[in-house]
Amino acid sequence: METAMAPVPPRPKDYKSDIKPIWCPGCGDFAVLSAITKALAFRELPREDVAMITGIGCSSRIAAYTGVYGFHGVHGRALALAAGLKAARPELTVLVAGGDGDGLSIGGNHFIHACRRNMDLTYVLMDNQVYGMTKGQASPTTAADWTRSKLTPHGTGIRPFQPAAMALTAGATFIARGFSGDPNGLAKILVEAIAHPGFSFVQVLSPCLTFRPEQKDWKNAVRSFADEETDDPVAAAARLQDDGALATGILYRDPRFPAYRSRTGGEARVADFEEAFAL
Amino acid sequence: MSLARKMTDLPTFLAYSVVMEEEAAERHDELADVMDVHNNPDVAATFRKLAHYSRLHAREIREQSATLELPKIAPWDFEWEGGEPPETADSDEVHYLMNRAQALRLAMENEQRAHDFYAEISREAPNAEVRKLAAEFAAEEREHLDLLIAWREKIPESEDEPLIDPDPAHMPE
Repeated sequence: METAMAPVPPRPKDYKSDIKPIWCPGCGDFAVLSAITKALAFRELPREDVAMITGIGCSSRIAAYTGVYGFHGVHGRALALAAGLKAARPELTVLVAGGDGDGLSIGGNHFIHACRRNMDLTYVLMDNQVYGMTKGQASPTTAADWTRSKLTPHGTGIRPFQPAAMALTAGATFIARGFSGDPNGLAKILVEAIAHPGFSFVQVLSPCLTFRPEQKDWKNAVRSFADEETDDPVAAAARLQDDGALATGILYRDPRFPAYRSRTGGEARVADFEEAFAL
Repeated sequence: MSLARKMTDLPTFLAYSVVMEEEAAERHDELADVMDVHNNPDVAATFRKLAHYSRLHAREIREQSATLELPKIAPWDFEWEGGEPPETADSDEVHYLMNRAQALRLAMENEQRAHDFYAEISREAPNAEVRKLAAEFAAEEREHLDLLIAWREKIPESEDEPLIDPDPAHMPE
């Protein structure tokens, strides 16, 4: 007689691949990988129902280190790829990941439009304020007076982007900030972000100890948002004005806007398109 | 209220203990991998061995817990001081040029924290069973620490010098 075995819940390591990360020792991205796998295990998502889409850069290598479906894509185009996948396969949980250079420079336009389109994607932006893979140039989130790069020996002289504020003005319906130094807190944020039925943006402060060793001090400076999350964009914007860009937690969540869905649910045939667009 | 005072029952205490050892093992594995990738095989082997010991300890605790139903606690609901379990190595305290002595020093700090964690519970937990088991675990962590100290003493002084990379890959450009 057969006895039914209770299913064993997945463990975080079940969502990791066998590939050893080539990140530098001490890189914050290890903790982001850990947080993502903890979040997926907590939600008990089947690996075959999850896809991780990334761009180019150190952090974008994360697609190879997870055991879910992955696409290590084109520089700055991770969100475009992910949007296409979600339109065609709306039942999948689609995670998008990359760095501040990938997502806010070459991918900046995709970012703001992904925010306003509000597709059900979770975008994890690992922000170390530097291009690490190409050996330490200023990125869109680098402070204007950072002088360690030979390309900008006097600093960039231009103000850095504030990713959370950009997401808010562009229409993202879930905005949070996490810290790699608190992987469990980040995992909790990611669980909520994945559950949010719309575009969720999670900026992760993820130090690059190789080219920005001073970021080691973030662990002494990062703190939680002083207030609970809000669904009021004006209140969220006000908080971002004086948080020093180092406050963490869920900032803003607004469930009122429906997530964008393909009208055909990804089931359209070529003939349907020909008929719809017939002159 | 301190975490030790919240250890009111054996299953909760064991749930914390298992996770502490498993996360220590995973971090040691992660550090071993990164040292492998950065061509530092001696330190990789050291971290791999440390991961093995943590896994053995986790297995022992799981076996001790076999007749109990441990509570399912979300990772973020563990009330670790500092966000991560005390035996987990600080990942920003490593460098690809670190030597075996430095790796063992890091491991000793972790074991010391684990010992202190259990020792505090053995003094302050409201449950007598928990206090007794925590005292046993604290003694085991002390043994581990002594083993690490002995291991460290076997490493020749000449190996305590920082490694040198004549052509570092990480020059800012």
